[in-house]
Amino acid sequence: MKKHRIMSITKTVGLIIYFIFAVFPLIWIVLTSLKPATEVYTFPVKYLPSRITFEAYRYLFSFARFHIYFKNSILAATCSALLSTIFSLMSGYVLSRFRFKTRHLLLLTLFFVQMIPAYLLMIPQFTMFSKLKLTNSLLSIVIIYTGLGVAFGTIMTRAFLKSLPKEIEEAAWIDGCTRLRALFKVVLPVFLPNVGAIFSFCFVNSWNEVFTAVLFLHSDHKMTVPVALYSFVSKAGIQWNVMAAGIVVALLPTVFVFAIAQKYIVQGLTQGALKG
Amino acid sequence: MNKLRFWIFLMLLPTFILILFINLYPLVRGGVISFQRLTVFNLNKPRFIGFDNYRAVLNDPGFWNIFFNTCIWIFFSVFFQLVFGFILALLLTKPFKGRGFYMGIVFYPWALSGFAIGLLWSWILNGQFGVLNDLLMKLHLISKPISFLSDPSFAMFSVIMINVWYGIPFFAIMLLAALQSIPKELYEAAEIDGAGVWSKLIKVTIPYIKPTILSTVLLRIIWVMNFPDIIYGTTRGGPAGATNILSVQMINIVYYQNNFGKASALGMVITMILLLFTVLYLQIFEKGDFEI
Repeated sequence: MKKHRIMSITKTVGLIIYFIFAVFPLIWIVLTSLKPATEVYTFPVKYLPSRITFEAYRYLFSFARFHIYFKNSILAATCSALLSTIFSLMSGYVLSRFRFKTRHLLLLTLFFVQMIPAYLLMIPQFTMFSKLKLTNSLLSIVIIYTGLGVAFGTIMTRAFLKSLPKEIEEAAWIDGCTRLRALFKVVLPVFLPNVGAIFSFCFVNSWNEVFTAVLFLHSDHKMTVPVALYSFVSKAGIQWNVMAAGIVVALLPTVFVFAIAQKYIVQGLTQGALKG
Repeated sequence: MNKLRFWIFLMLLPTFILILFINLYPLVRGGVISFQRLTVFNLNKPRFIGFDNYRAVLNDPGFWNIFFNTCIWIFFSVFFQLVFGFILALLLTKPFKGRGFYMGIVFYPWALSGFAIGLLWSWILNGQFGVLNDLLMKLHLISKPISFLSDPSFAMFSVIMINVWYGIPFFAIMLLAALQSIPKELYEAAEIDGAGVWSKLIKVTIPYIKPTILSTVLLRIIWVMNFPDIIYGTTRGGPAGATNILSVQMINIVYYQNNFGKASALGMVITMILLLFTVLYLQIFEKGDFEI
């Protein structure tokens, strides 16, 4: 019994230590963003702001025009996530339910595509899109993010669908439903949380992408949030409380989406990546 | 039957057009560009120069140093992510009150962008005003601030620590799912045989989840190799090349030298290394553990 107690104390201590390790950076950046500029660069460090101020956020959204970048990012991430989800659902369904000659080759392609470093593709993509006169537009990065998201989305969809019994669908066919009707009436409702997971996975990835966006978008009103942060770094004299506010704003949507869909993302990752 | 074939084709079409257009064609083009002299100044008039770009990449005096850095970066990042992720997964296996809440909070680093993480930590690790220095000094562990990111002897250690912080949730998520699929009977049988905590871990747990460990490690090695974001957000490969890895070097060639040909050659080298590594890895560990 005593041994059991030592074990549970060790466990609790371990969980607390990791909690601090994981959460501390976030708390610190939020605290920094709420400090008056004069208290940011003091050493020894002032932990709590003497007064909470939103001046960093005000600067961010007025002078640094962050609302434009925020809107661009939301637009790009939502559109590409929506498109990749729809396409992933279509191809994932087919790849999980039908057997045909090229199926294996297509699946292998999907896995291989994950291994190509995205920044090797960036340059040809850039020359391609500049020939199409599409660089410096949100459309170009939406297309690219959709292309990057659809491979993993398809793998995840297939994994989810494989664990969904075929029988529910087949029962509907026997009842006289057409394939398509059965898909919408029977499969989709059960599958909806997984659709949310795939959508949020693609959303988070697109929202976080930096390098393609930096290469593709150069005019000020076209930038996305990561590109704006990137340009902050090179601008001399940037205040760290403003930077901290920028990071907090950049984190908000993904943390929010991840918190909601976390359970299903986990399910999808473990099934998709391991038993594709 | 033909109608069904047509439907299958139609359903797959958007996905594979996109993959062809965004992944495969650019990969082939990248291969072609790696044999061309192509910079930002002659975008429309590339010139074929054979293996010159590859020679330039491999003969670069810093190349082997960068390669060595890459190995260090990957090995220690993945090793510590695996070890701490595994410990965390073990701590979380048995349900307790508030476990879901705990996981929701501590797994958030995985949702963040590597670049923002890099920026966030570069503030924490700042050599003059950084909070970590302050904490360490208050605990009397150090007497003067350490320049975690600008001192070459600390920089690699620092970026690896950041990457470990970022990757622990991923391993914890994957291993937790695997741990929960272990049948309870296995443990009961081991207990009857008189196995303690340790021997249960070594004889039951680890062998059972070995396939998950192997594929998670492979996946993570590929991602860590291809993931310049954290280093870019903190040191950009500096100080004095101390944290320069292959993928960062490639980005630097694109942005600072504007030499797309040379960058593509390096990109192809990275892809080759990864492919070779994956094939070897799958050969060494049983193939049966991976299924598509």
